[in-house]
Amino acid sequence: MSLHHLNDALVRPRSARPGHGRYPRLAGLATATLVLAACGGGGGGGGEDDPAAAEAFPEGDITFVVPFSAGGPTDTVTRLVAEPIAEELGANIVVQNVEGAGGTIAAGEVAAANPDGYTVLMHHIGMSTAPSLYPDLPYAPLEDFEPLGLVTQVPMTIVARSDFEPQTMEELVTYLEENAEDVTLANAGIGAASHLCGLLLQDALGVELTEVPYEGTGPALTDLVAGEVDLMCDQTTNTTGQIQAGEIKAYAVTTPERVETLPDLPTTEEAGLEELQVGVWHGFYVPAGTPEGIREELSAAILSSLEDENVISQLGELGAAPFSQEEATPEAHRQLLEEQIELWQPIIEEAGVAAD
Amino acid sequence: MELLNNLGLGFETAFTPINLLFAFIGVALGTAVGVLPGIGPTATIAMLLPITFGFEPVTSLIMLAGIYYGAQYGGSTTAILINLPGESSAAVTALDGHQMAKQGRAGPALATAALGSFFAGTVGTLALALFAEPISRAALLFGPAEYFSLVVLGLIASIALASGSVLKALAMIVLGLLLGTVGQDLYSGTPRFTFGMRELYSGLNFVSLAVGLFGVAEILRNLEGDITRSVMVQKVKNLWLTKDDFRRIRGPVLRGTGLGTALGVLPGAGHVLASFVSYSVEKRVSKRPEEFGRGAIEGVAAPESANNAAAQTQFVPLLTLGLPVSPIMALLLGAFIIQGIVPGPSVIDDEPELVWGLIASMWIGNFFLVLLNLPLIGLWVKMLTIPYRVLFPAIIAFASIGTYSIALNAFHVYAIAFFGILGYVLIKLGNEPAPLLLGFVLGPLLEEYLRRALIISDGDPSVFVTRPISLTLLILAAAAFAIAVLPSVRRKREVVFEEED
Amino acid sequence: MSMHGARKDLLAGAVFVIFGLAFAITSSTYEVGSALRMGPGYFPLVLGSVLVLLGILIAVKGFVAGDTGELGPVPWKATVLIVAALLFFGFTVRGLGMVPSLLVAVFLTALAGRNARVIPSAVIAASLTALSILIFVIVLQLRLPYFGPWLG
Repeated sequence: MSLHHLNDALVRPRSARPGHGRYPRLAGLATATLVLAACGGGGGGGGEDDPAAAEAFPEGDITFVVPFSAGGPTDTVTRLVAEPIAEELGANIVVQNVEGAGGTIAAGEVAAANPDGYTVLMHHIGMSTAPSLYPDLPYAPLEDFEPLGLVTQVPMTIVARSDFEPQTMEELVTYLEENAEDVTLANAGIGAASHLCGLLLQDALGVELTEVPYEGTGPALTDLVAGEVDLMCDQTTNTTGQIQAGEIKAYAVTTPERVETLPDLPTTEEAGLEELQVGVWHGFYVPAGTPEGIREELSAAILSSLEDENVISQLGELGAAPFSQEEATPEAHRQLLEEQIELWQPIIEEAGVAAD
Repeated sequence: MELLNNLGLGFETAFTPINLLFAFIGVALGTAVGVLPGIGPTATIAMLLPITFGFEPVTSLIMLAGIYYGAQYGGSTTAILINLPGESSAAVTALDGHQMAKQGRAGPALATAALGSFFAGTVGTLALALFAEPISRAALLFGPAEYFSLVVLGLIASIALASGSVLKALAMIVLGLLLGTVGQDLYSGTPRFTFGMRELYSGLNFVSLAVGLFGVAEILRNLEGDITRSVMVQKVKNLWLTKDDFRRIRGPVLRGTGLGTALGVLPGAGHVLASFVSYSVEKRVSKRPEEFGRGAIEGVAAPESANNAAAQTQFVPLLTLGLPVSPIMALLLGAFIIQGIVPGPSVIDDEPELVWGLIASMWIGNFFLVLLNLPLIGLWVKMLTIPYRVLFPAIIAFASIGTYSIALNAFHVYAIAFFGILGYVLIKLGNEPAPLLLGFVLGPLLEEYLRRALIISDGDPSVFVTRPISLTLLILAAAAFAIAVLPSVRRKREVVFEEED
Repeated sequence: MSMHGARKDLLAGAVFVIFGLAFAITSSTYEVGSALRMGPGYFPLVLGSVLVLLGILIAVKGFVAGDTGELGPVPWKATVLIVAALLFFGFTVRGLGMVPSLLVAVFLTALAGRNARVIPSAVIAASLTALSILIFVIVLQLRLPYFGPWLG
């Protein structure tokens, strides 16, 4: 049974919060209620006491649409940066989870939304794979959206059940080349990060493993811990705890640099697999046609949020880091999106998993 | 001794005024939202989850757990009072609970649910504290083959949910299984029965199905006669259990608690199966099986206890292994991450205060739940006095908003209309809706585990019988099927013999 | 044996046969695979066929036994009104916004009641809409705009 839900939380700029104590959110909730009641649900708080700000963007709440469930990794990243972004813009940010069809429902909605800067899409690597996975998409990622900037890239780890024979990444490569058809490779469902990483791994080694899809990371990881399946490639967010506890075996991390929380884990590059580079990158988008001034303002706020101490430390806990200021610009974002669309198209096509 | 220390630490953490307060707020909020028709526990938690984000980790998780119990109890209340289950386990409670309400015994039904839940919650929490580690290891013995066999057993058990024709119950289960396949195929990505609509890729929504089959169909049934058929035909007799009631629920509560505690730890299917396996067990062991489905108090006590015991032990894999066994546990896992806690097997060692505080708060949450709800029974029962001409538009209104807001997807609202008509037709033709609902919940699991077991075994079907747990479950399923079919055979023979006399 | 009684089971069987056929036929357009290498079509194809079989059995059994009760009246007006209300809400909640969409939907539903009159139904619609706004928008803070873009 898949889980859908909507849930919204107002992320208010810290300065606008009356009760800035230990439980600011509840106080925030109470005032937000009043604000909403007074303004018919649409109006926002921030700029109202400042008449000059009324003309400038933003003058109401901004909605961040997250295409996955509340509490999931993408939602976590969004809520994390939403706080400093709200503060920078002096506006309330509403996080809204619109789930379904690998994030394409949410993207389709934002593509069709008013290009006024008040509806912003957060999406991850799935933005670049959707055109290959869903041939009848009602939007085109490059034409119907303006990338606002990148946020973070969550590294992936190649992990196995704890009693899997190979001990190192090199041994794993040899083992997979020799026993490809006997090895099972778990993933969290079509189009999931673990699925994409698995495709890339098979592509890089030129082998075909037996793929075992699951409904989400939880059950996949459970079967890996239980030893029912052999191999998986998933985000550090999900695997770090299990690796540290020795419940599963880790071979390599798929980013150019090692991750802080798993310092002994070599990168795929170190292990001689330069082409196996994949991370779950996250970025913000607005519908095409959004005025440049508004885009610039949003981009600037996103960029500055990446230097927020809380954001850096919380992402660090998850084994990730914000993009550097140069890497996170809208231009760099657009370029990455283009590259990734091109990268994934042949891989997905070859694997024959398109939902047509 | 270590246990005492741990529990001591837990209660020390949970007993701070702040944590007590938020456990109570959580329970109260969860109950209040969960009781709204058309809003199930999952939606309740999703709606209330963001409120908890701003707190200290322990407080936030304690409140969230409180919301969870509250939402479940609230859901059972709606199931009993207006026959509208918000999740699969409540569909079982509704069977006899709503019949009791119709007979003027809504009070005892609600009290049974509250007391059964409290007892089960206490035992479940204790089991969690005592045996978390071994239980979680046991859960890992279940691979896809074992789960497949378990779901088969559960499906066979669900035949017992029908009080009428076995054949019709089977057909309803199969129709439910088929409806469960709507959406994108997990293994190939092929969208099935979606008619090209991406809104249907994630499948049909449980709440739409439940509101349609139970809510709308029931409304239409009520509107068909000429006589003003009040929903509550009988005057409310009493609010509390009689001595006889207490005697009758003792066994079912104990057995339900045991089953729920054991099944709760199993990922995916366990929690779902707990309540209706316990229902069918009670129906089998009862001396008066014919009362089931017609207001047997055992039929409320057993599934409510099982459900709540499972609700506690569901936390075992999450807390000891960092592995979520259900969508709701996945939400809680997300809450850990948002709090900056890396979930995994080491959480219990790294954050003992958090884990034991949460465990202690589960018991406190259950205590608050019973404390809050026993006095409220009178108020809930008053809901029955709402005139029907106001009540049924309210059900439609809340259900529309609830299902729409789950994913801002209008298809879930259209689905209510579709299932309302389908449900009405099927019920009118003498079919009972509960087996369909359970087929719908279990169908995707059945297919998922079956195909996964075969993929991993490389197409070798012997996995189902060479793995001992799987084999045991299949033998049990065969036995349960024989028992389900036999009574009707036996009864026929008895009739024949009587005629000969 | 009364033909009238048997009709109920015949109809029930027919409903199952229709659904079974619909699922089975649609499934066969997907990749079916084999029992040990199932494609997306296998599981629903098998189940669809089983449902057809069960439907036939129910119909036959009903025909033989013929002991089920009257079909009874059907509330056509209520059915049409409630379905219309749900479709209206789903179709307009985004465009018109929550307030007008819910008002009309609840009004239509309230009219489905027995002996329902226009003014009491309008009162019910208005009060339930207000209550829903209080619960969902104000207390639970769901982002459902009061008035949608169709209203300018």
